[in-house]
Amino acid sequence: MSDETKSCSTPSNPEPAAERSHLPMWIVLVMLTLLYLGGIYFDHHSGWFDKQVYSPYANAAMLESYQPQSGAGAILMQGKKTYEAICGTCHGADGLGKFNQAPALAGSDWVTAKGHNRLAHVPLLGLNGPITINGQQMSFPTGMAAMGAVLSDADLAAVLTYIRSSWGNKAAEVTADDIKAVRASMKTKLPPLTYEQVMALPE
Amino acid sequence: MKNGFVIFLAAFGVVLTSWCAFVLGPQLQLGGAKQVPVLNSSDVYPLNRPGEAAQGLQIYRANGCAACHTEQVQQDGVACEVVLTSAGKRNPAGVSNLVSTLKLTGLTELEAEAASDKITAAGGKAETHISATGVDISRGWGLRHSVAEDFLYDYPVQLGSVRVGPDLADVGRRLPDANWQMLHLYAPRSTVTGSAMPPFRYLFETKKKVNGESSPDALNFPKGFEPAAGYEVVPTSDAKKLVAYLLSLHADVPLYDAPFTQLSASTNAPAK
Amino acid sequence: MTVNDTKQIDASCRVPLLVLFGGAAAWLVAGSVMALLASLTFHMPDKFGDCSWVTYGHLQPAADDALLYGFCIPAGLGVALWIFARLGQVPLRGAIVPVVAAHLWHLGVLVGLVGIFIGDSTGFQWLEFPRGGSALLFFAYLLLGLWAMMNFSGRRDSGMFPSHWFLITALFLFPWIYSTANILIVGWPVRGVVQAIIAWWFGNNLVFLWTSLVGLGAAFYFLPKFSGRPLRSYYYALFAFWTLIIFGSMRGVPVGAPVPAWLPVLSSLNSLMLVIPVVAIAIIGWKTVVGGTGPECKGGSFCMIKFGFVAFILSALLVIAQACPQIGRLTQFTWFGAAQTQLQLYGFFAITMFGAIYYILPRAVGFEFRYPKLIRVQHWCAMIGIILFVASLVIGGVMQGLKLQDPNVAFNDSTKAMLPFLRASTTGLLFLLLANLLFALNIFTMIIAWKWSVAKAVFAFVVSPLAKSEVKA
Repeated sequence: MSDETKSCSTPSNPEPAAERSHLPMWIVLVMLTLLYLGGIYFDHHSGWFDKQVYSPYANAAMLESYQPQSGAGAILMQGKKTYEAICGTCHGADGLGKFNQAPALAGSDWVTAKGHNRLAHVPLLGLNGPITINGQQMSFPTGMAAMGAVLSDADLAAVLTYIRSSWGNKAAEVTADDIKAVRASMKTKLPPLTYEQVMALPE
Repeated sequence: MKNGFVIFLAAFGVVLTSWCAFVLGPQLQLGGAKQVPVLNSSDVYPLNRPGEAAQGLQIYRANGCAACHTEQVQQDGVACEVVLTSAGKRNPAGVSNLVSTLKLTGLTELEAEAASDKITAAGGKAETHISATGVDISRGWGLRHSVAEDFLYDYPVQLGSVRVGPDLADVGRRLPDANWQMLHLYAPRSTVTGSAMPPFRYLFETKKKVNGESSPDALNFPKGFEPAAGYEVVPTSDAKKLVAYLLSLHADVPLYDAPFTQLSASTNAPAK
Repeated sequence: MTVNDTKQIDASCRVPLLVLFGGAAAWLVAGSVMALLASLTFHMPDKFGDCSWVTYGHLQPAADDALLYGFCIPAGLGVALWIFARLGQVPLRGAIVPVVAAHLWHLGVLVGLVGIFIGDSTGFQWLEFPRGGSALLFFAYLLLGLWAMMNFSGRRDSGMFPSHWFLITALFLFPWIYSTANILIVGWPVRGVVQAIIAWWFGNNLVFLWTSLVGLGAAFYFLPKFSGRPLRSYYYALFAFWTLIIFGSMRGVPVGAPVPAWLPVLSSLNSLMLVIPVVAIAIIGWKTVVGGTGPECKGGSFCMIKFGFVAFILSALLVIAQACPQIGRLTQFTWFGAAQTQLQLYGFFAITMFGAIYYILPRAVGFEFRYPKLIRVQHWCAMIGIILFVASLVIGGVMQGLKLQDPNVAFNDSTKAMLPFLRASTTGLLFLLLANLLFALNIFTMIIAWKWSVAKAVFAFVVSPLAKSEVKA
């Protein structure tokens, strides 16, 4: 064998062996300390597995605090949240309605009507019986309960503004004052409404 | 440890943990991602790239552009600035004086609130603008950090790992001129002096002008780089697709996870 | 075990190792040429504009893949096969299967590299080979891994040496990560950035973890062998093994990536924790080698394995440095990362493999290398080349990072500032090419000598006079 590839192993036992002395504790202690410090860093910087928290935001609360709080954007966000919580189960998060359950809101002439009065009455008092949307007759086995009666003026206004500007709908916003006025004018009406009663209301 | 099976099992467990953390976890979190709403609007993001741009992504992949270019903008933080909207009627001169003494840019939120309160107390009206800060943003390479939604419909995702050339995440907004992009591919040094980028002349054809007239696709060269007289340089369909893809690269809408996309007055974008 | 037993074990590995190492040497040279051409793009970009085959975006990934898949993995598998046979004291049986598998592997690499050049690259780093190539690689690896495990399970002594743990983990690691990455990124792609996350996971587990496991498995075998002392110590190695795979497998996502923050944070933390196994491994190396009675360092196998070992420590330290937020922000997207990768793949792994192959091959084949003096020359060229390459790109990368982090510096200035460092790195690549050619020369001449001896033996058999009993009346 050439010089370069010589080894010092003796022919009778050429394979290496491993000596079994104990592992010193200091390295384990250092490892545990580093793991602890790492855990603290993870707590501060990782957003705790939230999929919307990206660096440089440290956590979900910080990200939430940076969302637009006022102005048109905030109203749309708030309206969207409320819509998805309350209306979306029947009318669909995509506004396309559910067969035999609730009509579509996307492209509906009720939603995009110039005035908001008739539209606002529906969640406030509920609606039963056959109705006509976009010239088409529809009927639903169960009617709509007064889902918006428990909402505040601002919340209901936000929901109506949201549906009037989503999924291709383009109609004017509805303000909290508008809803207040509608509620004031509702005193003599009883839930639930029928289609003819809604059509009898001013626009 | 004598038992090979025990070692195998335990090592298997370690690799399984890593697989869960980096394959299963992200797939569960992000694998079903859909379009997200744009802040302050009823639009959704992202939209599918138009056909030519989608094919251009394949040209980008095939030529290994990701070996030199990244497509990910980074952000270091946010900064607030307070802008005076009205000096008010009570004491306009005093308000203007106050404004000239205050620091109004590069503030933290608390500082911005304090400055805004001071202005309001003096009788004026102020607005707080928050913008993203970071080196990439100062360079004009993007308005906000890149997020998962920016790559939702892309296959393959070409994030890149080294910046031999500038970042391209927002290049469609920054360099929207198709002719510039074509020129840069054909002869990089005609658009960026001293560029180290190799030319991609094989994506173009040099041919004789028909009747002495340039075809509509022909590249418009700056002085000193034109081809020989009577000849023009025309992009092949691969070059057109690639440029369509580059022009479709935008990452400039505000989203829930990246809410700030205004450039503040103080972030100037110097030479890219 | 008698000398004859050892010779028998070595001889049983002969043909598989010749195919594995021979092909590896060829790909090493090819990869070196491609890397050199890629590097020249920065010095004379206009010469590379007319043919799509030589554009940088083809040359650089092809060079990287040729080094990793063409050289590193087959060399590592060959060394692992031999170490299993020697440690288990059982010869390799049914060697025809590893021989076929090795040919399949090299065919897969060829298909993959051609795929990159014609534009069929998948677009993900370290995973560029199109489906045909990766399928061949997968099946070839399965066969080789299976054969190694069969040899391991037939071992005489039921105990295990530390190298066993490292090599066995590497054996099953590759099929897992390779199939996952190919299925979820190339076959039935996942959506959006999840592709990138899986690609980073795969890249880390292959380029960092797999090469560390195989390289250290080989180093822990050869260092005690050469230094004449036992490995110090068994429990240190056990600790190093566990911490290496736990922390080493849970990293790979770069800082600031467009993914939720928990991924890069988790990744950085585990990268920082790598300091623990690195310290343990450094202590093992130091205690085993220092004070031993090994041969003098004259540029032979022992020298190479020691150099590779130190390169591993440095490469891991660079990884740990990049995980520190300040340094990471500075060096990300610069040539620093490329320098660290080359230090890992070439400085550590390839040079360790050179040392191992120079030891193993003469014993397996039965005769000496044709040009033994060139082994020392090769070692010096490799050392100079890798030091020049890595140092210039580490320093250059930091300079580039400093300029990139200053928004008032035009981007072009950062690329211009890199040019002198790129010149130095190209020079380093020239030295590496020379080293690789010398390595290939010795391997190929040995293959030729072996084939010639086989041909002579067959010829001698054919023309030998028949025994009387065989002659019919």
